[in-house]
Amino acid sequence: MLFAHLSDIHLGFQKNESLQKIEQQVFEKAMDECISRNVNFILIPGDLFHVNIPEMRVQKYAFAKFRQVHDAGIPIYVVYGSHDFSPVSNSVIDLLSEVGYITKVTKATSNENDTISLDFLIDEKTGAKIAGLSGLKVGKDREWYEKLDRDSLEAESGFKIFLFHGGISDMKTESGMDGDHMPLSLLPKGFSYYAGGHMHKFNHQSFDGYPNVVYPGTPFAGYHADLEDNANGQKRGFVLVEFEDTVKSVDFVEIPNVSYEIIQVDANNRKAESINQELIEKTKDIDPAQKVVIIKVKGELTSGKTADVDISGIRDELNSRNAMMINVSKNGLTSKEYSITEAKGANKEEIETNVFSENIGQLRFEYPELLNDDGIKLAKKLLRELGQPVLVNEKKNEYIPRIRDNALALLGLDKDDS
Amino acid sequence: MDELSIVGQVVGGSFGDVVIRQKAGTDLEIGDLMVSEENGSFLILQVFALEYGSQIQDKMQQMMSGVNLEQGVVDANFYEPDFVNYVLARIKPLARVFRENGDVKIPKSLPSFFNKLRLIGKDDLSFLQKENDQIFVGHIRSGSKVIKEAEVWLPAEDVFSHHVLIPATTGRGKSNLVKTILWHVLDTNKVGALVLDAHDEYFGRTGVGLKDHPRAKDNMVYYTPSNPPVGANRLTINLQTIRPEHFEGIVDFSDPQFQAIRMAHRQHRENWIQELMRVNVTPMEMGADTRRQGDFAAGTMMVVQRKLRLILSLEVDEEQVIVSRHEVFDSTTRGITTVDDIVRDIEQGKVVVLDTSRLGDEAELLVGNIIASKLLQKYKDAKATGELERKPVATIVIEEAPRVIGEDVLTSRNDNIYSTIAKEGRKFKVGLTAITQLSSVIPKTILANMNTKIILGNEMKQEREAIIASASQDLSEDDKNIASLDKGEAIITSIFVPFAMPIKIPLFEDIVKNRATEVNTGKTKVF
Repeated sequence: MLFAHLSDIHLGFQKNESLQKIEQQVFEKAMDECISRNVNFILIPGDLFHVNIPEMRVQKYAFAKFRQVHDAGIPIYVVYGSHDFSPVSNSVIDLLSEVGYITKVTKATSNENDTISLDFLIDEKTGAKIAGLSGLKVGKDREWYEKLDRDSLEAESGFKIFLFHGGISDMKTESGMDGDHMPLSLLPKGFSYYAGGHMHKFNHQSFDGYPNVVYPGTPFAGYHADLEDNANGQKRGFVLVEFEDTVKSVDFVEIPNVSYEIIQVDANNRKAESINQELIEKTKDIDPAQKVVIIKVKGELTSGKTADVDISGIRDELNSRNAMMINVSKNGLTSKEYSITEAKGANKEEIETNVFSENIGQLRFEYPELLNDDGIKLAKKLLRELGQPVLVNEKKNEYIPRIRDNALALLGLDKDDS
Repeated sequence: MDELSIVGQVVGGSFGDVVIRQKAGTDLEIGDLMVSEENGSFLILQVFALEYGSQIQDKMQQMMSGVNLEQGVVDANFYEPDFVNYVLARIKPLARVFRENGDVKIPKSLPSFFNKLRLIGKDDLSFLQKENDQIFVGHIRSGSKVIKEAEVWLPAEDVFSHHVLIPATTGRGKSNLVKTILWHVLDTNKVGALVLDAHDEYFGRTGVGLKDHPRAKDNMVYYTPSNPPVGANRLTINLQTIRPEHFEGIVDFSDPQFQAIRMAHRQHRENWIQELMRVNVTPMEMGADTRRQGDFAAGTMMVVQRKLRLILSLEVDEEQVIVSRHEVFDSTTRGITTVDDIVRDIEQGKVVVLDTSRLGDEAELLVGNIIASKLLQKYKDAKATGELERKPVATIVIEEAPRVIGEDVLTSRNDNIYSTIAKEGRKFKVGLTAITQLSSVIPKTILANMNTKIILGNEMKQEREAIIASASQDLSEDDKNIASLDKGEAIITSIFVPFAMPIKIPLFEDIVKNRATEVNTGKTKVF
């Protein structure tokens, strides 16, 4: 017997048209593989969609594909992920569940003694017993695990699968994997397979009492960082599991998505001009046609502004050579000259004034009104203006121009000034 | 003053050694606290010695005893014995409390001559008010009498950043004290703590423990090498997170051995342990002294490999891959982020308890060293960027402290992170909470830096002397007092308390029992 385990598909995440197509193709290819390999069922523990109600384009192709899988007699078992979850069953997941294309696994009962009981769902054809819990944002689902009546789950015999959506701290493989992770010990013990979602890289480990804890990872990309990982060689796909009474094998099935090029520049102790030069040089060496190009500039400049590292020309050049998409990451780029020094004060007003006073000396502008005391006054006015809240009944398309126009007026500019 | 409450009267002595006559019918104890009412203030004094006094010469008393003992029929008695024979108590002034503003000052004068004294009461200790972010250590104790209404709270940030020493011999209530302190640390996020729990006794795996604190789920993280209870973490540290300096002051490497280790680290960065273990040193090369591995003698390499193999339980599998069979150290991909996670938790003011009960001495200290090094570095960085003020004070709780800050360790090996923290951690809000049976082997420079000492009973004179010599208050007359401390009784000497405070630490089980249980909020909604 065979089942497939996918997670974190994040349908609807991509904004770029070309990548939207890749996102769709990867999803459809994964489902086709499941059909052609004749799996008994498919598990999707969360973040099938990037939001709970994705745009119609996404829903259309998802429904079409799920109908195809349904018609092939393959049940799909899911839990909500932190992205597609809805506390009021107002997610496209619920729609798919309602029409019978997928089955929500979570069958929870809240008991009077403040514990939570979970019932098993039994896959008709294989007899596999499946239970699971959804994932919530910022680890709010941890409370459910703490209150879980694990004795009844652990006492159940047979081939058992537990679906969950959340990071497990025992399985973190890289430093910098911040965010909410929970210890493995919160999961009930003794299941044959733990189908995980939320961590975006394939990871298969076994622990005492917890055999086969598996994350297939995203099949394409659910965060911008995933594209960078892809460019660095991260394999993407899903997991196929062969089982009888126990798990026989766990195999990763790779689904190729798109070709990548990555240009990385270390900006530490350098000036913007030399970085711009290096970017031009490195760009020359690659063939960007129909590829996703990742440009990553990281480090601390010795002088100048981070904006002096000019990607726009390089972007134009790569576009002219038919790059599919250019993804620029300058988040890790800072400048010694423009690092903000903290300052103290007795209250918010005083702290703001002191921070501006402390840092304005770093600026080199031709406009005297932006410097010294005038600059501080202007900065404070601007900060106050930009901090204005939305008025009652004010719509977003009214709020944004109001704030923008007021801010521009403070600067003595017109919105048509380029 | 109520005549009934009078326990004695000042009859002589000198500053620091005042003699009082005990009132008949009262029963003064070593350590009793008493009050001498003065003009606008009162003095708190403490009994440090008791002796007999009599108006009859010694020879006469001895003769009367002879009559009683040897001529059994006669029962000789003193005429008005309460007047004739009595107890003299030697007392020392601890503090002068000013009635007007409640100020507590170090006394600089004697109590008025012939002044009548009474035992201290709860109203005399009203200056012991709990302020924000303080930790509870116990109730004021007068001799063996506990004044339950007088709670002793210490300013958490000051106390922990200036290091805490808990000297005591076995069975005097060390664990109970540490649990009591940590229990109150869990109340807020103002103190982050790394607890190297060598006996796995703080979390409460089998009985009551810190896990029973209402905020334990949010403020405490428990790591244990295997079979973690629900909600706890597995203690796994990846070999890649170990750096050569983590062995300093922990493992006895010679200079050439350390050089070999550093060279391996320089060459192979995070994979240095695996690569160093892969160096093939044959016995033949051992014999030929001139043959060298890289720049190092084969013998040096073999010793380094053997020591690493033993500490980290390293083995070579059939594919010549170096693996660690250690419960804690991992050579694969596990535990890469454990150190970062723990440090982050401490930075958030959580108490991180590491169950090191199944680790060898060196492995335990190595684990602590790795985490403490990273923690101190993070706090140093925070100071450089001006962010230190926002961080909670961090303390590292370590048992059998002389293993890392003992004189012999620090002279025979290099400084380690614990001694560094003891010397300079205060500047960066990182402190040690050191528990020890042997204070005398800790160098004076480090003992002097430990500005709070919670002294439990100790029958070893040498240890008492070391503690007394480094106390923040003058305890020169308290040798017997310390020797007679019963289980759970302690003396706090600190630059953050006005005088050396005798306390009784409550039973941890009682603290847990008395803590109101959280109201059940009812059913939890699951989506």
